[in-house]
Amino acid sequence: MSAREDFERWGGAAAFGAAPELTPMQTLMWRAERHPVQSSTTTVIIDLDRAPDWKRFVAATEWGTGLVRRLRQRVVDPVVPTAAPTWADDPTFDLGYHLRRERVSSREEMLAQAAQIALRPFDRSRPLWEGVLFEGVGDGAAYVLKIHHALADPLGTVQLLSMLQSGKRTHTARKPLGEDAVAPADADPVDLAVSGLRTDVATLPDSVLATARTLGHAAARPQAVVASTLRYGASVRRLLSQAAPPSPELSPRTGKMWSFLTLDAPLEQLRSVARQGGGTLDDAGVALVLGGLRRYHGRRGARIREIPVGVRVSLDRADDLGNRFAGAIISGPLAIEDPVDRVAAVRGEVLSLHTERALEVLDAAAPLLNRMPSFVGASALRTASVPDAFVLTLPGPPRKRYMAGAEVQGMYVLGPLPGAALTVCLVTCGDTACIGVNVDASAVADLDQLAESLAEGVEEFISVVE
Amino acid sequence: MSGLSADVLAAIDAIEAGPQRPSVGAFFDLDGTLVAGYTAATFYGDRLKGRDVSPAEFLRTVVTAVDGELGGDPTRIAHVAFSAMRGESEEAFADLGERLFRSKIAGTIRRESRALVMAHQRAGHTVAVASAATSYQIAPVARDLGVEHLVCTQLVVEDGQFTGATDGPMLWGRHKASGVRAFAKEHALDLSTSYAYGNGYEDVAFLSSVGHPTALNPHRDLRSAAARLGWPVLDLSDPVGGSLIAAGRTAAALAGMNTGVVAGLAYGLLRRDGKEGRNLAVKLATSLPMSLAGVTVEVLNRERLWTHRPAIFVANHQSALDIPVLGNLLERDFTIVAKKEARWDPRAMVGSVVIDPAYIDRSDSESARATLDGVVDRIRAGTSLMIFPEGTRSATPVLGPFRKGAFHLAAQAGVPIVPVVLRNTGELMRRSSFVLNPGVVDVCVLEPETDWSVDDMSERIAALHTKFEQTLAKWPS
Repeated sequence: MSAREDFERWGGAAAFGAAPELTPMQTLMWRAERHPVQSSTTTVIIDLDRAPDWKRFVAATEWGTGLVRRLRQRVVDPVVPTAAPTWADDPTFDLGYHLRRERVSSREEMLAQAAQIALRPFDRSRPLWEGVLFEGVGDGAAYVLKIHHALADPLGTVQLLSMLQSGKRTHTARKPLGEDAVAPADADPVDLAVSGLRTDVATLPDSVLATARTLGHAAARPQAVVASTLRYGASVRRLLSQAAPPSPELSPRTGKMWSFLTLDAPLEQLRSVARQGGGTLDDAGVALVLGGLRRYHGRRGARIREIPVGVRVSLDRADDLGNRFAGAIISGPLAIEDPVDRVAAVRGEVLSLHTERALEVLDAAAPLLNRMPSFVGASALRTASVPDAFVLTLPGPPRKRYMAGAEVQGMYVLGPLPGAALTVCLVTCGDTACIGVNVDASAVADLDQLAESLAEGVEEFISVVE
Repeated sequence: MSGLSADVLAAIDAIEAGPQRPSVGAFFDLDGTLVAGYTAATFYGDRLKGRDVSPAEFLRTVVTAVDGELGGDPTRIAHVAFSAMRGESEEAFADLGERLFRSKIAGTIRRESRALVMAHQRAGHTVAVASAATSYQIAPVARDLGVEHLVCTQLVVEDGQFTGATDGPMLWGRHKASGVRAFAKEHALDLSTSYAYGNGYEDVAFLSSVGHPTALNPHRDLRSAAARLGWPVLDLSDPVGGSLIAAGRTAAALAGMNTGVVAGLAYGLLRRDGKEGRNLAVKLATSLPMSLAGVTVEVLNRERLWTHRPAIFVANHQSALDIPVLGNLLERDFTIVAKKEARWDPRAMVGSVVIDPAYIDRSDSESARATLDGVVDRIRAGTSLMIFPEGTRSATPVLGPFRKGAFHLAAQAGVPIVPVVLRNTGELMRRSSFVLNPGVVDVCVLEPETDWSVDDMSERIAALHTKFEQTLAKWPS
C-alpha cells in the first residue's frame, strides 16, 4: 500500500518546478536579495530517530536530485534586466559540494550550527541548496536543509521534502527516475537579455495600444477613475500604516544574529481551540505565538496591547489552501488572556484584510519593479512595513515518513528574518504541530525567557481543551 | 404580496428552521443595517442647523472625514465630535435623540430589517444592537424594535455632563467584535449558532465572530469580501423618501380629492339625495387621489368588510394615508371619531366635510361622553364607525396599546368589531409628512368579533391586540 503511495508521490516530485523562468515575485526576491538582512532562504530541520547509513543517505540524495531536476539547476540572470532570470542545468554539479555530514554533542549545538549555516550566503552561480546531516543529536540525528526561495518557498520546500521521503523504513529497490530524454536546459546571460528585448519590441505596439485604451477610458470617465484610484490608494495606506506600532521589547533588530528554537504542540488540541474560537489552524498558530509573546512582555513588565504580525492570506478562498497568497500585516492582540477569544480576535483581523482591494499590491507591482535596477526593488520590499513577527502555517506529511531508513520525528521550518524580530513556521507533521522559531537575537533581551514564554503559550492552548 | 423580498423570506425561513433558544444571539449593526443612512449625520445636521458648530470645528470635522475616507483612521471623526460635546448635558442630548428619532430616524428603519429582528425575537433568540454609535442614537430605535440589549460606545458623563471622552474604546471594527464576544460570554451565548448582520467594511471582524454572518446592504468592500468568504448577502429595500415627483403627485391627489368631493356633493344636490351624494363624494374623494398618487390597495378577506354592517371598524394607525385608504375600502355609510384638534388638519379637512365625523374633546370627558352617546345612535341607525384604537399615529409600525372606547361603543350599540390591519401606509406617507409616495398598501381584514360586553372586555382587547401584532409580524398570504 505505502509503496504505491510512494511511487505516486515520487512521480509528482519529478514534475516539481517545471517552469523555465522565475515568476515576477521570485525575480523580485532574487534580485532584491541582500543576505542575511533581506534574505530569501528557508532552513528545514528534520529530526531523525537514528543516524541513517551515510552511504544510503548519499545515494538517496543523489537519486532525489536526479528526480527533481531543479536541484541540479542554477539561475541565469540576463546581463540587463529585459527578461526574467531562467533556470539552466549546472554542468559542474557536484553532490559533494551540497551535502556533507557533521558530528555534534547535543541538539542545542545542532540548532546553533544550523543558524550559522542559514546565515551564510549561497553561491548564486550554483544550485540553490545545501544539506548537512548532524550525527550525535541524542540517540538520533538531524538533517538540516537550506534552500533558496527562488527554488522553493517554505510551502514548496515542505511539500518537496514530504514528497521525497519514503513511507517505509526499508530500502525501495527500483525507485522511479526522472525522464532521461528531457532536453538539457541551457541559458546564456547575453542571449537572455537580447531575446527579452526582442519580445519587448515585438509586444510594444500591443502595450502602447493597451495604454492608449486605458487612457481613453480614463478620459471618458474621469470621476470613476479618480474615485477608484483614491480607493486603491486609501487601501494601500491602510495596509501599510494601520497595524500596531512595533514593540520596543523586540528591538533593536539587526537581522544578522539568528537563533533557532523548536517547539512541539499536539495538533488535535490546537485544532480544537481553533474550532472553539471559530478560526482555522493558521489563526490558532498566530494566537499561540501571541500568547507566548504576551507572557514574554508580561515578564519584561511591558504593557503593550497589540503588535504588528505578518500573516499569509489566501487570495482565492478564505479557508482552503489556494495557490495565490498575499502577505499582510495585522494588529495582533497582546492583551487578550483567553486563548479562544484570542483566536477569534485574530480570525477577525485576518478576515478583515479581505476588504482591502490593495492586498495584492506587491504582486501587482513586481513585474514593473523587475525592470528597474535591483536596488529599487530591494527598497520597495523594505518600505513594505515590517511586522514584529511573521507567523506561517504549512501542511507537512500526514503520516510517518522515513529518510534512508531513519524515521522522521519532526520537521521544523526556520524562515528568514526580513526585518522582523521573529519568524515562526508551524508545520503539521502527523499528529504534531512542529513549530520552528527564528529569533533575531539582537532584538530580544532574554532568549531563555522568550523560549520559556513560547512553551507556556503552547501549554496554555493544551489546558483549554483539558 | 407579502412586501418582503424572496431573499428575506428565505432568511426568515432559515431562522425559523434553526435552533430556537435564548443561547442563540442575533446582533444587528445600526447605521446602514437597521436604519438606512447614518444616524450620526442626522445628529450632526441638527447641530449645524442650530449653529452649535464653530467654523473651526466644522473644518476639522470635514478634514478628518475626508482623511478617514482616504485611508486614515476613520474613527477620528467620531472622537472630534465627542470632544466637541464636552460640557453638554446628557439629559438634553438624550432628549435630542428622542426628538430626532420621532422626526427623522424612525422613518429610516428598514421594514425588512424589522422583519428579521422580529423573526429572531419569535425564535426566542437574544437580540442586541451592536454599533459604534452611542446609546443616545440607538436606544430609541432599539426600544421601538423591542430590542433590550445594546453593545455600543459609551461616553463618560460627570455630574450630568459629557467630558468629551469615551469609556473604553469606540466599538468600531475589532472593538465591536470584542464587545460582542464579551457580551456573548456574559449572557452565555453560543456564538457558533448565533447571527450577525452588518453593512460596513469594518464589520468583517464583527461578522466573523458568529456562525451565521450576513452582509446586509453591504458597502462595496464588504460585498467583495463576502463573496470571497462565501457569506450570504441580503439587499433590503430602503424606505422610500419623498421625491419631487412624489410631491407633485401628492398635489394632484389633493386636487383630485377636492374635485371628488365637489363632484359627489353636486351629484347629491342634483338628485336631491344628500346621503347618496356623500357616498359618491367619499368614493371619488378617496379613489381619485390614490390613483393619482400611484397608490394601490391589496386586500385580504375583502368580503368581511361587508358581512357585518353596521359595525365598528378598528384599524392600526401609522399615517395620514390610513384615512383615505380606509375610506376607500369602507366605501359608503360610515363615519369616524376624531380628536377635536384634527378638525383643522388640512389633510383631513376636505374629507371631514363629507363624512361628518364625531369630534371628541379629549380634555372634557363630560362632553366626550355626550358626543359618544350621539355616535351610538348613529351606529344603530345604520352608519358604521371607523376608529383607531391606538388613539394616535405611531412613528413606526410598532403597535401602541389599544384604548377601550371603540369596544365600549360596540358593547353599547350591540354591533360587531371588524378588525382591519394596515401595513406600510407609514412607509408611503411618513408621520408628519405631507408627501405621499407611490406604492402598494397591504390590508388584511381579520375575523369580525361579535357580542361585546364589559365583563370580558379587557381580555378580548388584549387578545385582539395580539392578533394585530401577529398579523403584522407574519403577513398571511
